[in-house]
Amino acid sequence: MVAEQRPDLETIDMPINMGPQHPSTHGVFRMVLVVSGEKVVDVTPHIGYMHRGGEKLMETMDFRQGIGYADRTEYLAQFSAELGYVLAVERLMGVEVPERAEYIRVILTELNRLTSHFMFAGAFGIDSGLFGTSMMFAFREREFIQDLFEEISGDRLMYAYFRVGGLAWEVTDNFVQRCHESLKTAERGIRDIDDLLTHNEIFMGRCQNIGAFTAQQAIAYGLSGPMLRASGVPFDLRKDEPYSVYPRLKFDIPVGNYGDVYDRFLVRIEEMRQSVKIVEQALEQLPPEGPIVAEKLPRRLRTPPGEVYAKVESPRGEWGVYLISKGGDKPYRLKMRSPSFCNLTALREMTIGQFLADAVMVLGSMDIVLCDVDR
Amino acid sequence: MMRAVILAAPSVDALDNPALSALLGLIVITLIMTLGVMFATWYERKAVARMQQRLGPMRVGPWGLLQPIADTLKLVSKEGVRPASADRIAWDLSLAAIFVPAFLVLVAIPFTADWFVSPMDLSLLYILAVGGLSFIGFLLAGWGSDNKYALLGGMRAAAQLISYEIPMILSMLAVVMVVGSADVYRIILYQDVVPLIVWQPLAFIIFLTATIAELERQPFDIPTGESEVAGGVFIEYSGIRWSLFQLTGYVNMYAYSLLGAFVFLGGWEWPFGTDIGWGYQLLLTMVKMALFIVFFLWVRTSFPRLRVDQLMSYAWKVLLPFALAQIFLNGLVLVYDLPDVVLLATSGGGALALCWLVYSVVRVKPRQPLRMVGNVPATAPGSVSG
Amino acid sequence: MIGILRSLGMTARVAFRKPVTNSYPNVHRQIANRDRAFPILLWDEEHDEPFCTGCHACERACPVECMTVVMKDNPKHATGESKRRKIIDEFWIDYGRCMRCNICVEVCNFEAIGMNNTWAGHELSRFDRSELVMDLDMLLSQSKAGKVDPGLRA
Repeated sequence: MVAEQRPDLETIDMPINMGPQHPSTHGVFRMVLVVSGEKVVDVTPHIGYMHRGGEKLMETMDFRQGIGYADRTEYLAQFSAELGYVLAVERLMGVEVPERAEYIRVILTELNRLTSHFMFAGAFGIDSGLFGTSMMFAFREREFIQDLFEEISGDRLMYAYFRVGGLAWEVTDNFVQRCHESLKTAERGIRDIDDLLTHNEIFMGRCQNIGAFTAQQAIAYGLSGPMLRASGVPFDLRKDEPYSVYPRLKFDIPVGNYGDVYDRFLVRIEEMRQSVKIVEQALEQLPPEGPIVAEKLPRRLRTPPGEVYAKVESPRGEWGVYLISKGGDKPYRLKMRSPSFCNLTALREMTIGQFLADAVMVLGSMDIVLCDVDR
Repeated sequence: MMRAVILAAPSVDALDNPALSALLGLIVITLIMTLGVMFATWYERKAVARMQQRLGPMRVGPWGLLQPIADTLKLVSKEGVRPASADRIAWDLSLAAIFVPAFLVLVAIPFTADWFVSPMDLSLLYILAVGGLSFIGFLLAGWGSDNKYALLGGMRAAAQLISYEIPMILSMLAVVMVVGSADVYRIILYQDVVPLIVWQPLAFIIFLTATIAELERQPFDIPTGESEVAGGVFIEYSGIRWSLFQLTGYVNMYAYSLLGAFVFLGGWEWPFGTDIGWGYQLLLTMVKMALFIVFFLWVRTSFPRLRVDQLMSYAWKVLLPFALAQIFLNGLVLVYDLPDVVLLATSGGGALALCWLVYSVVRVKPRQPLRMVGNVPATAPGSVSG
Repeated sequence: MIGILRSLGMTARVAFRKPVTNSYPNVHRQIANRDRAFPILLWDEEHDEPFCTGCHACERACPVECMTVVMKDNPKHATGESKRRKIIDEFWIDYGRCMRCNICVEVCNFEAIGMNNTWAGHELSRFDRSELVMDLDMLLSQSKAGKVDPGLRA
């Protein structure tokens, strides 16, 4: 009103720097939001604060040393990252992995999916404004599963347990029993988060019809994982291009109808239930004994010249490793296709026109790992 | 601590100078409230921790009881940083504009039947009027900090506080209509048999919601929302200034809880009457106040935050019409001199309607559940490690 | 409204559960047998000298190059007390660089290095990062004092 009376007073949209130090950017991510009041007019994402030249670093490391680095790239789905890297090397070398090792890999990867999605549910609750309760519930179960990982691999976060041709060492004697215990606590955790968030009207009001993407848009942006499935595309690498022993396991892929933030949340929660199912089946089929490393592996791993692309369904989407070797014990070129980065590209389109608070929710629903985005 | 109040009380009466006695009473209240706030911070952390299956503070003192003292020492000894570009007058004035009204509210609150700082005929009006002043401080802080987050937070705070002031006052007005007095003392005395929450459940629900919004606690902590505006108006304040803001927040929480306890739960009157002695009266008041505080903490742990537009539409489109309807219904009952049970019936019906509205608005369009896709044709069946 | 009440009920129920956290510096969680903290060197009680012969295998395999190894002739070999011809002279591990990948343990031919699996390997906070560079005495001290867990992988 004042602006109308005084033409010399002009109103402009206000740019706001969100990040790199902001509680809800999930790491060192910066978005420059241009807001008109509370509405977001424009978004410019800035990435690269965590860039450490990971791909180049892995080219200086031999195939065993690189595993530890794959962990650190995707620090919420470490086993998936290791699996992608190891699969690439194995395909290039033509190594046959023993069955028992494959089953243990699948079990651990799926448990890792649980921990990753728990992390998402917790952090998403905080993004939506909950005072840390969802985070505590999620971390409670996550810690139980991490205890199991620690017992097996020796570390709570950077497992470095998968090896080219199998596993680093045998699992503990009570592995199966401990897995069942972890699943039980995980199921309780899913129930708790379900009770706390899923049906809460405030949460629904905050999530529904926010950042909606149609299937066409999702495909056009190259989204993958729960982001893509929430938009209604039933695409899951475990089903479409199965690797390891996934073809022998029965599970469903949850697919959303609306493609909004709420659907992404529901899809992830449902995926956790499916992961529990997968682990239970894999534990049943797990051969009680057998080798865990492929035979006749040289002490120093060398690949023949060639190139290979191996991809796995990580909790965030398609995690791929593109590997070129010119022979020798190190990759000539290694490219990581990280789902976090590809999903993040949709941020601008999803956020424009929403409220400032929704920008946080949209970013939270992407479940990005900044380390993986910047590499 | 409580002994000090009672010792101070006769001396207040002994002083004939009203200004001096009021000052003395205010000092006593300020001291008690500061101590109470320190306890509240500990209790809040502990209670919230238990609701999240944590232990909470454990290190300082038994069960972490001395934690607030450690916190206070740390905050007081911290450097108070002021941004170079801040508007200095607004920056410093905001503190007073938030801090002073919070304590002024306590002047009119009758802690027991015998002890309060200043008796007033329109004490309820005074409490609501003075309590509603703090938005000026939020605006000043938001503007003076020269920070965009603070500005956003300040604007949000002003909008929210003004919006929720209205349903709150209207809900109080409904009570005033029933009682026939705007004196908190008289309202308490009115509830000697049945507390007003029974006759006015709708007003109570509106009051409770508006109180949480006025206190800027979850799920209405939009002005200070950690995940959006990262602290809002307080973002540039540190050290003693920041702790004064926090202190004010807790004093407000006490004040509004006391108000709720007096107006809706019968204060020190219900259920034992006035003749039980000041000690029990004080205890009863504190228990009822604690019920409110526990509820605030409980809500804080359980709910996500509302969005700005939802917050506004909830105040103007839901609470305000319901509050007006409550007043209208009360008016009908008073004009036609209907029995009190009608009050309960109408107000209870209104409360149920409010709940139904909250339930149904979100589910206007029932959503389809997720599709479960089980049999995507596997392109390479059965192969181990392709 | 039902969902709101469900949320409230959820937190109320949890309030009566046993807390899952513990009061950390007072109570230490039991850590797993295979726990991997930072690498330490092991002490050969039989010959009263380190197992490590300073063969540089771990130094070469280390992905982050946090190790520095210096080898010397074993004086005990000359007197016939020990079969080790060469022995470690100086050994530094920069714990600030180490990424605890376990590769040094895997490549060691003498089982001379192991990943610490006690709390001593975790509570290593220092005020200066140069203090995180451990020398031979520090690396050996825990094993020498017999404080390593028997489950230690070497």
